Amino acid sequence: MTKQTFLHDKHIALGARMVDFAGWEMPVQYSSIIEEHKTVREAVGIFDVSHMGEIIVYGEDALPFLNKLVPQDITKLVDLKAVYCQLTNKKGGIIDDLIIYKLEENKYLIIANASRIDEDLNWMVRNKIGFDVTIVNESHNYSLLAVQGPKACDLIKSLGLTDLPEFFKIKRGELFNINLWVSRTGYTGEDGVEILVRNEFSEYLWDKLLDAGKDFGIKPIGLGARDTLRLEAALHLYGNDLDEDTTPVEAGLSWSVSKTKTADYNGKSVIEDQLKNGGRKKLVGLKMLDRGIARHGYEVYYNNEKVGIITSGGISPIRGDNIALAYIKPLDNLTVGSTIQVMIRDKFHNAEIVKKPFVAKRNKA
Amino acid sequence: MNESMLCTKTHEYVLETSKNKYEVGITDYAIEQLGDIVFIELPEVGSEFAKNEVFATIESVKAASEIYMPISGKVVEINEEIVNSPELLNDESYENKWFIKIESSADQVEFADLLDYSDYKEEVE
Repeated sequence: MTKQTFLHDKHIALGARMVDFAGWEMPVQYSSIIEEHKTVREAVGIFDVSHMGEIIVYGEDALPFLNKLVPQDITKLVDLKAVYCQLTNKKGGIIDDLIIYKLEENKYLIIANASRIDEDLNWMVRNKIGFDVTIVNESHNYSLLAVQGPKACDLIKSLGLTDLPEFFKIKRGELFNINLWVSRTGYTGEDGVEILVRNEFSEYLWDKLLDAGKDFGIKPIGLGARDTLRLEAALHLYGNDLDEDTTPVEAGLSWSVSKTKTADYNGKSVIEDQLKNGGRKKLVGLKMLDRGIARHGYEVYYNNEKVGIITSGGISPIRGDNIALAYIKPLDNLTVGSTIQVMIRDKFHNAEIVKKPFVAKRNKA
Repeated sequence: MNESMLCTKTHEYVLETSKNKYEVGITDYAIEQLGDIVFIELPEVGSEFAKNEVFATIESVKAASEIYMPISGKVVEINEEIVNSPELLNDESYENKWFIKIESSADQVEFADLLDYSDYKEEVE
């Protein structure tokens, strides 16, 4: 039985095409993916991402417990600040990628991928022996609305929330007399906020934001554009670009891993070794040179030898070309500027390794 | 859409333009379902295909789809315009949405499983 968010009827009324995503019936597009994509890059879009998981971890040992689970240094996290993390297994493989917020002393909020909530909870419970912590899955109580784009913050400010949190911070606030959490985060590469609100208020808030956003050019945005937006920003999608056999170093996430953390964490020996010596593969950005679209699972070749696989690929509505993310063997001669081949329908198509992101991020204003 | 076209359950259509000459494309329903069309690959003029053989690939933002021959035939012309500007397929004012023109000597057996446009519409809606 597929689950529906509390905004399901709103999506239907807006003419959305619904698809199954991670067990949820979600809007993939309302009008056109390309138009919705451009709306977020040029004005502001609103997304229902209520399928995502919310997990609260609290208790005396909440900090050392979380610090055991991720390669990031949670001791550095101050109140109302967020950090992008990976939940790693003993081999350094990624069980999920998360945002962890410190709400207050001994209390943390975790935003998890919808497809991974069960695995995350199982893994946390398996790791909690000896820690005085309580893990509560709050996913069924909360809706999450993302408001993203260059005009997103102007819109929210116009509604009375004038002192928005800074990038990767969260705060309590009130919109239309509804208590909510506002966080300066997103999955588009644009500035904007994500709003966590109890389910019973989500429909009202959605309508109010769409109405107030008219003057700012707001549109509802489906998962289709969410995917093209995050690809341009080279943000990872769990299940495509990240999995349990891929480490943060291999995924190009070394920047997020603490190099000074003294506490042990799952996968530390593998990750520390890879930080020094490199991983078994590396994630690169590709720009198609020949006509053709690289898709998840297509093979990558160099000198007629298979050297990798596409994990995400598609069109870039902003650049007007075709882009992709691929894992390739860490060969010295495969660097930015190298030409490789993607096998599309049994034919080689040239592609160039390029720097990521594909479109500059504008979220750290 | 021309009411005299015949459709497959996989959303291709074939329309007889003169004796043994046909145009082949995909239905308006298929285009609507695909959403933004961003890539089309058509065969070379002169290539021959059997009924149900893949002759083209069409890609929306989300995914690639293969397009099958509704009847057997030899390609005599391809629609270069939609190859160069696939987004024309999403443009309601654009009328030349055919993919290829073929010559065919297909017999009644090949037409047996094709649907009238009205029956097709009933089937998909």
